[in-house]
Amino acid sequence: MRAIIHYFERDFKKWTRGRINVFSSLMMPAAWLILVGLTLPTKFTDNYLEFITPGILVMTMLFSSLQGGSLMIFEKMLGFLNKFLAMPAPRESILFGKIMFITTRGLLQTTVILIIATLLGVRLENPMNIVLIYITLFLFGVLFSSLSTTVALHLSDHDGYAAVSSMVSMPLFFTSSALMPYDVMPEWLRFMAHLNPVSYAIDSTRELFTGGIPFEGIAGLAVAAAIMLIIGIYQFRKATV
Amino acid sequence: MVPLIEINGLTKYFGDLCAVDHIDLEVGNEIFGLLGPNGAGKSTTVRLLTTLLTPNSGSARVCGYDVVKEPNKVRESISYVPQDMAVDIKLTGRENVRLYAKIYRVPDRENQVDNVLELMELTERADDLVRTYSGGMRRRLELAQALVHKPNVLFLDEPTLGLDVAARKKIWEHISMLRERGMTIFMTTHYMEEADEYCDRVAIIDKGNIVTVDSPKNLKQRLGTGASMNDVFLENIKTAEEEGFDAFRFRSMLRRRT
Repeated sequence: MRAIIHYFERDFKKWTRGRINVFSSLMMPAAWLILVGLTLPTKFTDNYLEFITPGILVMTMLFSSLQGGSLMIFEKMLGFLNKFLAMPAPRESILFGKIMFITTRGLLQTTVILIIATLLGVRLENPMNIVLIYITLFLFGVLFSSLSTTVALHLSDHDGYAAVSSMVSMPLFFTSSALMPYDVMPEWLRFMAHLNPVSYAIDSTRELFTGGIPFEGIAGLAVAAAIMLIIGIYQFRKATV
Repeated sequence: MVPLIEINGLTKYFGDLCAVDHIDLEVGNEIFGLLGPNGAGKSTTVRLLTTLLTPNSGSARVCGYDVVKEPNKVRESISYVPQDMAVDIKLTGRENVRLYAKIYRVPDRENQVDNVLELMELTERADDLVRTYSGGMRRRLELAQALVHKPNVLFLDEPTLGLDVAARKKIWEHISMLRERGMTIFMTTHYMEEADEYCDRVAIIDKGNIVTVDSPKNLKQRLGTGASMNDVFLENIKTAEEEGFDAFRFRSMLRRRT
């Protein structure tokens, strides 16, 4: 399975060589954090920045993972996938390479946000929880990048994929617990937020910020990620062009 | 002749459309050309042989391995260069080849990478980004990638498509050189003159059926003196107009799967 590293290395090199990509992918979440976190007039908390930081971290992973599916669409459209599928390395290493790249990129983005948030005064109750925050974000990234990459394996239309991904990502974010706590939500939104998988990641991250340890949340994400991975492995193994 | 590729009754349907219809073929150590009009089943045949598609019935063996039962053995023995010119333009030529060498776990990697770059006359430009390469150079880079693990059979789908005359000639010189070094080459092409000049044997495929198989020389002789490969081709192919064959539907059907 060393091929995973080789596929990862290829994507990473290509990404870092397009400097504008690196810059823009780091700017967007930072803008969210600063513009929304510092300006929104909220009544339920006197430090909204502290409240919204976990939401922005998870949002960054979510958008980055969903957008990452387009990598696989391009591999298909440009003919790379055909070549890779005709090679003897296990086919799921193509999937794992993509997941590894997409989540690594997402974790780099979230690191920038954590740094900015720290500079703006956000503090962790228990600094050791930073490790668990990364693990939570990693599991969430694996869940959504394996989903997006596996979906992309079956599509061959980039515009269509981009449309679906933005159609899914915005509502997922706005119906989650990212922007407000459950008790100030309207009834209908509270119902949706409780069903939304993005809320699980946000609530877990928020609990980690305040010093608690959300065993259930992290375990839930791990199970969901594992199930999605198994589906992805199966789809890649039987893939034909 | 030791058959490196043996095809028996190979059949592939896309929906109710028969793209490859019970074909039988044996290919030995040679340059073998598969000719046919658009949508005749050339690329589908290549994808069946390279384990990218599974046949509905029939069987095929490549280098003695069954493409359905032993796909990984087949993948280890072959290389496949599709039509698309898929090389990473943000990587250098050497990085492109090195990626393949790593995935194939080629022993003595750096030397072998140097060898194939040299073989394809890319050594001087090896450390430039592929973005700066011409079409012909990109195609040679793909050949270098394909050769890095020393495959026994090389599958080329339209290797000279979209290249200018000089670049096409150069690609063919390289393919002939590989043949002299003992490699088997299975390829598809639209260019009859090229098939005539460089292929040891050709098969003409039409609507999923192999219409004829022989050396270009014999095929031409059968039609009488002065016949060209174009004549042979047209003689064997019933054109879309004559039969009312819905080539558009067929192609869009295939495209959906690529």
